[in-house]
Amino acid sequence: MINKLLIANRGEIVSRIIKTCKKMGVQTVAIYSDSDKAASYLEEADESCCIGPSNPLKSYLNIDAIINAMLKTRADAVHPGYGFLAENYAFAEAVVSQGAIWVGPPPSVMKAVESKCYCRQIAAGVDVSVIPGTLSTLAGLKELRQAVQEYGYPAFLKLDKGGGGKGIEVIRDENQLQEVYERVTRIGQMAFGSSECYLEVGVERPRHIEIQFIADSFGQCVCLGERECSVQRRHQKIIEEAPSPVVGENERNTLFAWTRKLSRAMGYEGAGTLEYLRATGGEFYFMEVNARLQVEHPVTEALTGMDIVQKQLEIASGMPLGLQQDDLQISGHAIEARVYAEDPDTFQPSPGKVNRLSFPATNEHIRIDHALYEGGTVSPYYDPLIAKVIAWDETRLKAIQRLTKALREFQVTGIKTTVPLNLHILENKEFQEGNFDTSFLEKFSYK
Amino acid sequence: MATTVNAHMPGLVARVLVNEGDQVTQGQTVVVINCMKNELQVVSANDGKVQNVLVKEWDEVEIGSPLIVLE
Repeated sequence: MINKLLIANRGEIVSRIIKTCKKMGVQTVAIYSDSDKAASYLEEADESCCIGPSNPLKSYLNIDAIINAMLKTRADAVHPGYGFLAENYAFAEAVVSQGAIWVGPPPSVMKAVESKCYCRQIAAGVDVSVIPGTLSTLAGLKELRQAVQEYGYPAFLKLDKGGGGKGIEVIRDENQLQEVYERVTRIGQMAFGSSECYLEVGVERPRHIEIQFIADSFGQCVCLGERECSVQRRHQKIIEEAPSPVVGENERNTLFAWTRKLSRAMGYEGAGTLEYLRATGGEFYFMEVNARLQVEHPVTEALTGMDIVQKQLEIASGMPLGLQQDDLQISGHAIEARVYAEDPDTFQPSPGKVNRLSFPATNEHIRIDHALYEGGTVSPYYDPLIAKVIAWDETRLKAIQRLTKALREFQVTGIKTTVPLNLHILENKEFQEGNFDTSFLEKFSYK
Repeated sequence: MATTVNAHMPGLVARVLVNEGDQVTQGQTVVVINCMKNELQVVSANDGKVQNVLVKEWDEVEIGSPLIVLE
């Protein structure tokens, strides 16, 4: 079992992971950059260690600095959280090469699934639907021309190793082909160090539905239900919920079967998420793997009563899952609102000092994950996500009402937050009826 | 008289788009600041020649930090 866990991240997720460690009797090490030296969770951890200046390249993205902190504090395991180095296989390898435990999938799996074409090939090999397009990367402009002839316009050119919504561009006609190809390959080279790309057809008005799963090193894999994450802007999720209003029992069983097949074919171990798109006709397509704990994992925890971080730590320690698919209890409805430090009208960032905080009561219906405190500062150097408010109740409508009430009582002064936008979404009739897709917020009239 | 182009948001300098000696015009983007992973453009309020570039990529800046000096 893990004795001392270093949490290689910042913000609310550090506090979240410490909670489970306390329950399990695992000691914790929190790391911090100069601008996080007064963070609230540093006191919750057993130890803390400064890893460098505010600039994330020199601290939270600095593999050497974090490995040094691990050695200095004699931590025997690392949990990467989400973002930063969570999906960086070189970091995972560096942890493992020091004899420590990496709380995540094996580095070799992380390296392989970074390639979207690899994942598409795996999926095609086990009869899981993928978005129509090429299964391999394109050798050049000539191959792209041939692919477009086969799949037609409009087509999407995507980077094989892209991420965060970067390096995805639409090609509408022959005239744009060369220009888009050159731009996407240039972005790939600059931002990701790889210019390889492939072609996919566009899926009109899709819904983003993902399956949370956990797999142990003995071949057991259990799906913990889906999450509906279609309410997003600029590929950033805002509201997540489970179950999805459009996933019935048959569809869920299909997605679970696909997820188990894919997880086994990839040799996956640990907690992970497979993202799927649902087209307007109800067809599902496998999209990509998130080889880490996700921001929205509390939705699944509220729905199933499971502690996903605990399962991660147990699996990383070599323990079996101790759970069959039939053991899974899914009850009621869970919904999460992400609160960002942004202007709700313009989406401009709003860093600054938090003056007053007032939160709704937390109980079996309401959970709040955050790292805010009065007098604390929301830094301009990091992600704008400052809190997640999660509501659970017996029905979707009741859960929405719970969340609405909680958000009305969630008050932060000194910075702007997206709470007013969250409330507008929850009060929207189309949203309440479950009638939305990933373009929902584009058409959304906030005023 | 020299004027400066200042940061309107805190964050990290993502890109500097001008060099010393460049002629800039009013409304031209001279620096891009990464604030909470958002790229924000800093535009020059005046025409002028770049006398001095005060920041480089990944520098930390506050609201009002001078970035560029114009002649």
